[in-house]
Amino acid sequence: MSSNDSEPHDLDAAAEVMRTGGRILIRGSGTGTDWAGRPSTVDTVLHTSGLTGVLAYNPADMTVAVRAGTTLRDLQDQLAEHGQWIATDAARIEAGASVGGLLATADSGPRQHVYGPLRDVVLGVTVVLASGEIAHSGGHVIKNVAGYDLAKLFSGSFGTLGLLAEVVLRTHPRTATSRTLAVPADAAAAYRLAGEVRDKTVEPTALSWSDGRLLVRFEGTEAGVVPQLDRVALPGAELLDGETEKAAWAADAALVRGSAGETVIRVGALPSRFPDLAELVDKLAAEHGARAVFSSWLGVGVHTIVLRGGDAAAHAGVLIGLHNGFAESAITLHRRADGVDGLAPAWGPPPPAVGLLRSVKQAFDPDGRLGPDRFAPWLGEG
Amino acid sequence: MGDALQADLIGALGAASVLSNPTQLRTYECDGLTGYKVTPRLVALPSSAEQVAAAVAACAKHNVPFVARGAGSGLSGGALPVADGVVISLQRLRRILDIDPVNRRAIVEPGVTNLAVSHAAAPHDLYYAPDPSSQQVCTIGGNIAENSGGAHCLKYGFTTHHVYALEVVLADGTRTWLGGPTGEQAGYDLRGAFLGSEGTLGITTKAVIRLLRKPESVRTLLADFPSISAAGSVVTDIIGSGIVPAAIEMMDRLAIEAAEAAVHAGYTLDTPAALLIELDGPEAECQSLFTEVERICREHGTTKIRIAADADERAGMWRGRKAAFAAVGRISPNYFVQDGVVPRTRLAEALDRIAEMGRDAGIRVANVFHAGDGNLHPLVLYSEAAGEHDRAEQLSKQIAELCVEFGGSLSGEHGIGTDKACSMPTMFSGTDLATMATLRSAFDPAGLANPGKVLPTPRLCGEKPGPYQPHPLEAAGVIERL
Repeated sequence: MSSNDSEPHDLDAAAEVMRTGGRILIRGSGTGTDWAGRPSTVDTVLHTSGLTGVLAYNPADMTVAVRAGTTLRDLQDQLAEHGQWIATDAARIEAGASVGGLLATADSGPRQHVYGPLRDVVLGVTVVLASGEIAHSGGHVIKNVAGYDLAKLFSGSFGTLGLLAEVVLRTHPRTATSRTLAVPADAAAAYRLAGEVRDKTVEPTALSWSDGRLLVRFEGTEAGVVPQLDRVALPGAELLDGETEKAAWAADAALVRGSAGETVIRVGALPSRFPDLAELVDKLAAEHGARAVFSSWLGVGVHTIVLRGGDAAAHAGVLIGLHNGFAESAITLHRRADGVDGLAPAWGPPPPAVGLLRSVKQAFDPDGRLGPDRFAPWLGEG
Repeated sequence: MGDALQADLIGALGAASVLSNPTQLRTYECDGLTGYKVTPRLVALPSSAEQVAAAVAACAKHNVPFVARGAGSGLSGGALPVADGVVISLQRLRRILDIDPVNRRAIVEPGVTNLAVSHAAAPHDLYYAPDPSSQQVCTIGGNIAENSGGAHCLKYGFTTHHVYALEVVLADGTRTWLGGPTGEQAGYDLRGAFLGSEGTLGITTKAVIRLLRKPESVRTLLADFPSISAAGSVVTDIIGSGIVPAAIEMMDRLAIEAAEAAVHAGYTLDTPAALLIELDGPEAECQSLFTEVERICREHGTTKIRIAADADERAGMWRGRKAAFAAVGRISPNYFVQDGVVPRTRLAEALDRIAEMGRDAGIRVANVFHAGDGNLHPLVLYSEAAGEHDRAEQLSKQIAELCVEFGGSLSGEHGIGTDKACSMPTMFSGTDLATMATLRSAFDPAGLANPGKVLPTPRLCGEKPGPYQPHPLEAAGVIERL
């Protein structure tokens, strides 16, 4: 069944669509449409592509307010002119992901190591609810504890609570110097080396095991970065800077984004559980006849697992094995190979607070019109 | 009826852990905001998460509101009791359950003090970053309820940035976990929604919090300036040059006078403004940026720079700053402290307006604040004995609302609580507040968790949201204000 496409250009028009659009799928740039549960048929696809542009930017206050359909890449370009950036480096940014889409999918990148997930640099939001009402939370200042933080609630909500229409973000100064040390390592070696880095007096901004290489990034002033590179002293490491560094992280981002035929799964597990995770995934992949490639942010314990080769059943088998083996972890299905959907649920065992998730969903979208089945079976649909 | 609740609480906690003696109850009548006082019906002193859940379940069974309380050091009346309700003190849940240096996490109970976490982590060269001025006494549970900041949050963020997961007791007595093992989420960030909800969504019974490695190098200086605006320009230039200091604190002449009288930190008594600036990070980087900061201070006509030679001298500089609130007692019999935030670039303008408002009201205002993020802490000095209370309270409220007018916030870290609930409509629309109430009802449909805080209610603020006005029945003495 086909649905109506709608592209509101202001808040009032968006409110009208939200109120009258029936079952609604909210779509940003489309880079995360495949993530989470497969939405069931909707009446309206609300595109945020009409809600773009910077609303207010004062570099000296280190805050910027944007319409949520703005691509983060465009925003970063504008901030760069003032020597600033939004401190997040999710792989989808290069593919044109929107600010609202990145927040709604709780995406993040390797620099989460120092800057935290995207939600940590969000200061305020304007949302449009299913009722068509327009609500704000937070504000335009870096420090603010007035009222509940709806931005956090909407982070990771996949369009099921309302439309993220405007977002206020904190900016950070861009750093002058960046260098990355790269050293080939298997999972065990990567874990050991990451532990050594952790225990040295250094402050990397990213620590990733990507496609069989450990990448340790340092950023700051030249005076600050150089001594840290010396101090880390990773045997056999290659020093990347300029174009070679850019290429290494671009390759990592491409891996994380995945491509057709691949299944991509993100797992957040206690950092010390990485060896168990790597072992389990290798075992599952071998058992089911697929190949698993990792991009692991070892310092924070967030891993993107890319399954290649094998058929849908193989990918589904690995996913189910992960759900069962790492039940206490946050596991989100990103991309999946054709056919996986029928064989494995997008979400694993529900978290302890699933009852509360349902209450919140019920309170914000009593008729269940927004993003139906995105969280099936947790929210009782499907 | 009251007996039935008391009996259930005694059944769950034991008679020694349920206070009902009026003298004992009065100990809990207020928090750090002493202007509001309400004696609770009962006080429960659970010793475990199970007992917290049992106490809350008893309240739910009898449909009686409850108010969680940590150290009672909050400054917005967030732990103010409800007259017919139960105060649930978390003071007996003070175990540090785990310090995990590999994963850089601690698992703590809510009654653990903020500073105790850093002390426990110190052998591993780790610490807990949020550092409210009250960190020696305030508890992690209270910090979570308020989303507390501190002097170093410009660089390191607030409590919400340092909490992975929370075990909470919901208002029906259910115990559950919010958040997960990392910052990665599956589903809504209920952890983040709960954080900073000021006890209105439930009670924290365990927290998994982030520990950071102590920075390799810390450099601190204290610089005097001939004017607030000169000091403000220094802050602007530091931020403009791309430096994110660990802290930039500003104090004005009155605040310096008070702090110096209290702790003799070596501040200059007659300087109109002083900045306490701290950088931390890798040694070499810290040194080069510190030189740049010194240069900027001189460029704006600093009259004196003192650089902390060692950790003791640094601690001394901070002692003056952290003691400033209490120290104000030395120069004024009574005071209110406000906590509004303005966009940093409008600091000087806001301070001028505050000075003007103080002059008009005939009330002195001392200023000590986090200059890097625009979080003001105006101290409104007055004398109860001289009958200045109402004027001072009015001024204090006007200052908070001025911050909203400047595009900022009513509160940067102290919370809304009872104190500022009636000012919320100056910052948020009716729809905004109704949406927050929707979230509250999803967590607590019966409205038993800390009612009357954060969101304005007709009972608290009068029928019309906005400035408090006595209800006609109240004025006639028929009903009383909580």
